[in-house]
Amino acid sequence: MSGKKWTAAFFITAAVFALLIVSFNVLVDPFGVFGDPVFHWDSYSETQNPRIGKTAYLDREHGKYDSYIIGCSSTSSYPVGLLNEYYGASFYNLIMYGADMQDVRDMVFYMADNYEVKNLVVNVYIDNGLKIGQGEDSLSSRLPAKISGRSKLSYYSDYVFLNPNYAVQKIKDRADDGLLSKPFDVFDVETGAYDKRARDAEPIGSLADYLDAYPVFADYPVSTPAMEATDKTMECLAAVRDLCMERGISFAVVSAPVYWDYFNDFSKAEVEHFYRSLAEVADFWDFTMSSVSFEPRYFYDATHFRNDVGRMALMRMFGDESAYIPEDFGRLVTKDNAAEAVEAMYSAYGEPEANSARVPILTYHHITDEPQSGTEITPEGFRAQIKALSDGGYTPLFFSDLEDYVVKGYPLPEKPVVITFDDGYMSNYEKAFPILKEFDMKATVFVIGVSVGSTERYKDTEYPITPHFGWGEAREMVASGLVEIGSHADDMHQWAPYETGEARENILRLPGESEADYVAAVIADFEKSAADIERETGERPAMLSFPSGKYDVLSQWALSEAGVRMTVGVEEGIAEIVRGLPQSLYAMKRLNMTDEISPEELIALLEK
Amino acid sequence: MSLLSPLFPALVLVSVTVYYLVPKRSRWTVLLAASWLFYLWGGLASAAYILITTVSTYVCGLILGRIREKNDAARVKKLRRPVVFLCCLINFGMLFAVKYWDLAAEMTGLSLPRLGLLAPLGLSFFIFQSTGYVADVARGKIAPERNIAKYSLFVSFFPQITEGPIGRYGALAPQLYGGSDLNFDNIRSGIQLSMWGLIKKLIIAERAGVIVNSVYSNASAYDGSVIAFAVLMYCIQLYCDFSGGIDIARGAAKCFGIDMAENFRRPLYAKSLAEYWRRWHISLGSWLRDYVFYPLTFTKLFNRIGKFTRKHIGGALGRIIPTSLATFIIYFLVGIWHGANYTYIAFGLYNGVVITSGLLLAPFFEKVKARLKIDAKSKWFSAFSMLRTMLIVFAGRYITRAPYLKMSLVMLKRTVFNFHPSALFSGVIADLGMTAADLIIVAAGVVLVNAVELTEERGTDVRLALSKKSGFVQWLCLALPLAAIVAAALFGGDYTASSFIYAQF
Amino acid sequence: MEKLIGILKGVCPGVDFENEKALCDDGIINSLDIVLIVSELMDAYGVEIDIDDLVPENFNTAEDILALVERAQG
Repeated sequence: MSGKKWTAAFFITAAVFALLIVSFNVLVDPFGVFGDPVFHWDSYSETQNPRIGKTAYLDREHGKYDSYIIGCSSTSSYPVGLLNEYYGASFYNLIMYGADMQDVRDMVFYMADNYEVKNLVVNVYIDNGLKIGQGEDSLSSRLPAKISGRSKLSYYSDYVFLNPNYAVQKIKDRADDGLLSKPFDVFDVETGAYDKRARDAEPIGSLADYLDAYPVFADYPVSTPAMEATDKTMECLAAVRDLCMERGISFAVVSAPVYWDYFNDFSKAEVEHFYRSLAEVADFWDFTMSSVSFEPRYFYDATHFRNDVGRMALMRMFGDESAYIPEDFGRLVTKDNAAEAVEAMYSAYGEPEANSARVPILTYHHITDEPQSGTEITPEGFRAQIKALSDGGYTPLFFSDLEDYVVKGYPLPEKPVVITFDDGYMSNYEKAFPILKEFDMKATVFVIGVSVGSTERYKDTEYPITPHFGWGEAREMVASGLVEIGSHADDMHQWAPYETGEARENILRLPGESEADYVAAVIADFEKSAADIERETGERPAMLSFPSGKYDVLSQWALSEAGVRMTVGVEEGIAEIVRGLPQSLYAMKRLNMTDEISPEELIALLEK
Repeated sequence: MSLLSPLFPALVLVSVTVYYLVPKRSRWTVLLAASWLFYLWGGLASAAYILITTVSTYVCGLILGRIREKNDAARVKKLRRPVVFLCCLINFGMLFAVKYWDLAAEMTGLSLPRLGLLAPLGLSFFIFQSTGYVADVARGKIAPERNIAKYSLFVSFFPQITEGPIGRYGALAPQLYGGSDLNFDNIRSGIQLSMWGLIKKLIIAERAGVIVNSVYSNASAYDGSVIAFAVLMYCIQLYCDFSGGIDIARGAAKCFGIDMAENFRRPLYAKSLAEYWRRWHISLGSWLRDYVFYPLTFTKLFNRIGKFTRKHIGGALGRIIPTSLATFIIYFLVGIWHGANYTYIAFGLYNGVVITSGLLLAPFFEKVKARLKIDAKSKWFSAFSMLRTMLIVFAGRYITRAPYLKMSLVMLKRTVFNFHPSALFSGVIADLGMTAADLIIVAAGVVLVNAVELTEERGTDVRLALSKKSGFVQWLCLALPLAAIVAAALFGGDYTASSFIYAQF
Repeated sequence: MEKLIGILKGVCPGVDFENEKALCDDGIINSLDIVLIVSELMDAYGVEIDIDDLVPENFNTAEDILALVERAQG
């Protein structure tokens, strides 16, 4: 090869390589910079870089929205559904993780020029005082070049000659995608908020359980944050305010709740400067510190509060009193009361467990003179336990009472107890119901839909079955006011040996079943069960006992979609429920009752 | 701009194209423009330093030229001295202020103000290069350059300014100013040399360097075998990175038809530490030899020391002491040049001690060899000498990279007393970020580099041999390295897995 | 010439000064050797050799070195 030929071969080869790389990065487009031509996966792009991904989405779909709530990741927790209701508008949650006020300003200016914007809510978090204008350094937090004004050459060449690992990972992630969000697609495309379906379906439980699951609260990391960006932050916010005034956009500011142990890391002088400067820029609803800040279960992690807290914040702002809100949560801050507001932050006080209650829930199944298993009990044993509860001053509750405590904040009796029966055996009617009447105690029976009225045979087989009561007995019990009927699934508690096909022994997804099919099956099953109960007894159940006590986040989420607001499992323990956190009614613990537990032991167990 | 920046090949490509398009006599202006663009990419502030050096050495050159023209040899000697002195004062004063002032202030414990100056790109390279020019003018070896723009190109020629080599005006200037004809063999050579450099730098050095940092900064946490492994990786990293950088620079220059000085001559094959230093960073070594070592040994002081030792000690020893002293000073300077740090000073002393003691003990070794009937020219003895040299260099590398001097002693101690070879296979290498694949790539790279160097050591020009192979083989030898470089450049860039981007809450 | 070769061999034993044609360029003698040679020469011939003459061209062969000495003697 001559030197000339070689040189030509070199440049042709180099050009081919370059073309390969460029096409790979453009076609797979992990950051959504080039319109994601193959995957059309908005949530993925938004996760990689919310500023770029969401701008690309809104450029296409901004017609659907006329209002925006904007800010760093804690912004996600304000539900747009409620904002729509209160404003009579159509909100998009423009949360951009790590966003500072410069990002907010640049995005708002861009939107005001390019989209219809009627209302703007800016969420200000204490972290906004720490830094500003550093997002451009990182691929995942820089703004689109048309918004930041960065040179298009440098912007596009960064993404054209991107590390191919990003694209490779996107292809892998596509194969791994599921119905609920995964760490690679965390946004709900329609609302713009984090997809918290899974997180909002997980059981909460007692404070001790929560600290086990989220050890960050048990041993909170100490930091020394320096609020060096306060003044610049406020300049940017003022620019947003002025723009809104000029364009006739309604403008509101909220300051997000902060976990107390994080708040304490800040210097008081800097905090005061931050919030007083904020009040100079605009009046704002302040949720920074209140009793909420002291309850870890209101937080997902160190700096992010739960969606229910966001809901309560919006309700407080708009004077909605239809549900419980802690009394000291939220106040309107203006220039005039800013100093007192900061003092109030420092006098805020709360006990972690002040807003939660322990409620023992007892589990019974079949009542028989000859108990065969650890779930059956003799009539004598049952009577002795109910008598002990009655004598001990325990007040029996229905599930709606628990919901009223959590959602509406109603008080609970001093000694609450919930008595439950699983499966719906005839013995519940024949043996237990008279005893309940004798002591005027209430109970909840979770019936298996297909088994109601099966007195001899398992479904339509020849196999014998422990008799189950029918709708007539159910109606009679409900009419007494002492019994309510819950769901134990319609036909998701099958007995495998008696089934011909693949048995659904519990409510979990079958191996090989697609997530979508599964969710549809769960919803249809509960719908059937609930419709039957409502038709026969007049009351639609909102509670379900997991067959065999088995559940996972997906099943809990599917049930909540079907309208189930309370669930119980078989995990031993006393349930703990939290005011303002309806999620705490999921997968509540119960105590399994047998003859082994003497009346005295039962009382001791409940008082523990 | 760094040699690894994707902008560097772009700059070379554009300037090479323009270079051959403009008339031959103005081609040097293209180089000048490219050089200043390259230099100023990093910011205008650093331009002040290179301007001071350019102007001061340019003016001194002119003055020295005038002195040479107007005076006889004896007067020249007398008159040139203050000019050279002033020139050195300005330039080395600047170098000292930027690189060493703060260290000196700390070492002396005096409450001097700290300057906190950031060294601009290639500061010591252009200072060495242009003061060398002044010395050559003073010695009458070259005539001074009268055109300051041309002279400025000599100081700032962009391929060499980041990592050297330190060029000599006599060799470099005619090539820079003359303008060369378009020759695709040069371009091929240039691209091949650059790719070779990139392979060494991007593929071998970057991987080898992964574990170096963590081990050197916290040596007491690791067993001796792991430390020794890290030092070995450091040696590989250092050589591949430095010589790779030089290859990239020389390759870029070659595309303009310019041959720059060689800076490495297969140091692995050195038979003594002194020879190692003649093969390693050659342009610095020869600079120090010509402009420090010779003048130093010719000073009155050294003359007197020489006379004294010859008279009072006599023999080989007496003769050799003054040179040894000068050698010692040179290696001390080499150490300091590498970095303004205690560790580098210790490194310089280490080399100085080893080499001077080698010199002083040479007669004794000769006697030993004679007694043991060792043939110094035999293969075995050569191999032994190379291995011994490698070990000495290896031990020296314990010193330079450690964050502070005591750490290198800890490392040495652990290597000797806590070697524990099994620790090396306990997965600690992978924990430190070096996967099995990385290890294989480094090993294969080292084998490849050695195969090429051995072939060259035996006198075969690898690239020439390659050009005689079939077209397909030649294309493979182009495409595979290119693919490897592109892959290394891209996959080695910033990457954060999406689950890390989103700290799940 | 013989005197010169004698001096040279005294400084660098084992080097074939009679026949080597590129002592410096081939790295047979190095800077240390040159300095030692020059100081020996200055003693033996009583001449002053200038630092400016310390270039490889003056040390590649024994003839070059002799020429250097003769120039220095004037």
